[in-house]
Amino acid sequence: MSVLIPEAMPVRTPRRKLATGANPYAPAPARIMRIRELTSDIRLFDLRFTDSTLADSFAFRPGQFVELSVLGVGEGPFSLPSSPTRRGVFQLGIRRVGSLTNYLFDHVIEGDEVGIRGPLGNGFPIEMFEGQDMLLVAGGLGMVPLRGLLNYLIDQRERFGRVILLYGTRTPEQVLFRDELQSLSHRGDAEILLSVDDTQGQAWTGKVGVVTELLDMVKFDVSRTYAVACGPPVFYKFMLEKLVDRGFGRHRIYLSLERRMECGVGKCGHCAVGYTFTCLHGPVFSYWDAINLPELIYT
Amino acid sequence: MQTLRMDSRLLNSFLEALRAWGTLVAPVERSPGVFALAEIEDVGSARPEAQRTILPFKKLLLKPSFCMLERRDGQAARESTDNDPGPMVYFGAHACDIHALKILDLLYLSEYVDPYYKRNRERLTVVGHGCFPDEKCFCRSQGTANVDDGFDLFLTPLEGRYLVTIASARGDDIVRANQALFEPSTRRDVQEYMTRLKEREKTFTLSMDVTDLPYVLELKRDDPVWEELGKKCLCCGSCSMVCPTCSCFNVHDEIPEEGVTRRMRKWDACLYREYALVAGGHNFRATRADRVKNRYYHKQEAFVREFGKPSCVGCGRCIENCPTGINVVEVFKAVRGEL
Repeated sequence: MSVLIPEAMPVRTPRRKLATGANPYAPAPARIMRIRELTSDIRLFDLRFTDSTLADSFAFRPGQFVELSVLGVGEGPFSLPSSPTRRGVFQLGIRRVGSLTNYLFDHVIEGDEVGIRGPLGNGFPIEMFEGQDMLLVAGGLGMVPLRGLLNYLIDQRERFGRVILLYGTRTPEQVLFRDELQSLSHRGDAEILLSVDDTQGQAWTGKVGVVTELLDMVKFDVSRTYAVACGPPVFYKFMLEKLVDRGFGRHRIYLSLERRMECGVGKCGHCAVGYTFTCLHGPVFSYWDAINLPELIYT
Repeated sequence: MQTLRMDSRLLNSFLEALRAWGTLVAPVERSPGVFALAEIEDVGSARPEAQRTILPFKKLLLKPSFCMLERRDGQAARESTDNDPGPMVYFGAHACDIHALKILDLLYLSEYVDPYYKRNRERLTVVGHGCFPDEKCFCRSQGTANVDDGFDLFLTPLEGRYLVTIASARGDDIVRANQALFEPSTRRDVQEYMTRLKEREKTFTLSMDVTDLPYVLELKRDDPVWEELGKKCLCCGSCSMVCPTCSCFNVHDEIPEEGVTRRMRKWDACLYREYALVAGGHNFRATRADRVKNRYYHKQEAFVREFGKPSCVGCGRCIENCPTGINVVEVFKAVRGEL
């Protein structure tokens, strides 16, 4: 199986263009192949570009994102929970939260066309991860981008060491991709520990507590492990320093951040934090870089 | 770079000749002392010596609001020609204005090229004009008081004539097509230019200490000066609108009208409350102090780290237009604890 991954690029490189077209603001049409409900307010959309050449050649790095748009309704950034190892169809995990997502939930059905621009952002430094143990730490919706990375690691299992996933949600119902994670765990492909804040009276074999507590339940060799964290601001507030306490250098911790990415190509200014455009230099940052950009994590 | 000279009495003929390169745009006097950039019908109305125009040239490269994409019923979405004025000639650009264009070029013509900007920029002819500073000009502190490139022709007024600098092949085209207007420059012209340069240097009254400024700002991130400034700033966005390098924009879709759906692009300002608001309601810069501080940090710290120079050209437009009298030079004095 050949995997097509675009090269990691430093920012402010010579001119480049998006896979979806020379005009970086113009989306390419993509068809919604399948819609699945993950939780009461999160759905997984399978998409395929209408242009079959683009559909088959569309390559992205885990951690990159796309802009999805419905002309007349609006546009928004969404991370890719699918892996580039599975070509042809890509996925978006979308939570109902604003006018565009309301439209996607209420009016869009399988077979409809939407617009896609991308891939955008830097993505995870997967080349550096080769041969290393991987510790993935997700809080809530942070599982969406990490699922793309997880699938990438699993699809090329022999190129990585241990794959550990620590994942916390509020309730058992909110655990995303639960069946999938269970089967990965049973197959022994990944070590997976789940936590919920509250079982709400449902059967639960995982931990009850906050996700940082899961960190105390696993042993790892920090010298050969990269940690990748993704979650809401409050999750970062506790998790990142806890990882440092466990011995991780700040350059061995990566995180993916959310901002108001509008143009996605470093022009409109909305996602700028200090000298960084979250859409162009990010959304993935090492903890060291992130901590040196005030406002980036904890505003 | 080549240097020629032109008799001052030939200016109008020169302006007429420039029309062959596109729509002529120059400062005109709207009311006494108030200048705006406008398309020129009568070349006699051009006022290149105008201190500063209300809005900078960016308004002609990227209109305050324009349609990027449109879709007619039943058809595929297409790139719109809304922001397509055709070739333009910008006459009367001062050194700071030309530096501002170079800054916009860094942003819009690097990485993912902005096709709407590129189209207008590539067809733009820039003819600069020498100026003398007033009490709001601090270009000298920003390193933008003089300019060597980024224009096609530059006219420096001397006694009864202009020293004409050619800085591009297009400038050379213009000169070759109008050879009767120009003659070789002499040592006397150069000497007079040197005298003028010295006088101009002496005329500056406003200056801003930029020593180690990005790091100073880093150290002063939590300084109470920002809270104080937040109380004074209305976050009206005037400074951003008149700034020649502020170029943030918002994208929004118009509700379909007569079968046409449009994706519009409109000037935005980081001072507006909704600027850093994300879906779900979290605002990354909720207070006025956060937002006004961000604007100064972007100009004097962030841009320097990214591109090696500030994105402020010291034109003084923000000083002239702030309704509550915020003066950028005073702000940085306060940051240094010198007020």
